[in-house]
Amino acid sequence: MSAILSWIEATRVATSVAESAALTAWLSAAHVVGFALVTGAALVANLRGLGALFPRAQASDVLVAANRAMLLGLALSAATGAPLFAARAADAGANGIFQLKMLLLLGAATFQFAIVGGHGSVERRSARASRVVSVVALALWLGLALAAFAFLLLE
Amino acid sequence: MTLLGICEWLESTPLASVIQESAYGFPIIVAVHLFGLTLSVGTLLWVDLRLLGVTLRHLRVSEVYRGLAPWFFAGFAMMLVTGATLFTAFATLAYGNVFFRVKMASIALAGANAALLHFVTQRRSAEWDDAARPPFGVRAAGLISIMLWVTVMLAGRMMSYTMYSAAPTP
Repeated sequence: MSAILSWIEATRVATSVAESAALTAWLSAAHVVGFALVTGAALVANLRGLGALFPRAQASDVLVAANRAMLLGLALSAATGAPLFAARAADAGANGIFQLKMLLLLGAATFQFAIVGGHGSVERRSARASRVVSVVALALWLGLALAAFAFLLLE
Repeated sequence: MTLLGICEWLESTPLASVIQESAYGFPIIVAVHLFGLTLSVGTLLWVDLRLLGVTLRHLRVSEVYRGLAPWFFAGFAMMLVTGATLFTAFATLAYGNVFFRVKMASIALAGANAALLHFVTQRRSAEWDDAARPPFGVRAAGLISIMLWVTVMLAGRMMSYTMYSAAPTP
């Protein structure tokens, strides 16, 4: 694994980012914008699932819109996060907080799209089940936010 | 007293000393500041997208605003309190930083844009509140808001890469 991470760090993209403070800064800034998109979408989707937001709207309609925004946010975060990671792959890869962040990202995204789901899932679910699923989803996204900020500030 | 003089005074206050000397205080305050930012901008974005007629078009604009207002105002409150605290501790560094000035100018313009929408454009909201595609002025307000808040986020992040030398680097 360390050999792979070292290889990643030696790539042209990685060295370009590592050698440019400006590029690192702009990528990091865009990464935060992507995260805000994801956070907003997760909040809208799961607050609707809890019945705490837009109660008159069809839950499935809100979920479809939120999922679309979330995918856009995740794409921006991934596109900017990958070169940032590559520039310090060995250090980041060995960092416990970063590993937790990635685990929570995988868990939150998988849970959001596979369990909370979209149009079909909402129609089949009871109101109580929707609330439980939404609470779990919000907890995962909040955990991701805390891990992300901890990695940003403490590493 | 000059603006720079006020900044120097702020940095000499006991609150500023506590933040400057605390190993974990600074990162925790910045983390709450970032959380407030993602909460406020992440939810306000949905109001702006509705103003643009891009999403949630089956809901009234006022309904989207009322539903999300508690969340983005809570985020703004978090940002204001933590931002003021951080500014107190590093006022002279912020004063001289171009990205801080861009950030503050963008926040002021975003506030002016919101005030214009609220006090002028919204007078005739009954005509467009349930329109899937609101009038040009409303859509423009939504787009300008998105652009300004993205600028705030970008400038804020750039500050942390250009502002701190002796201070803990986020």
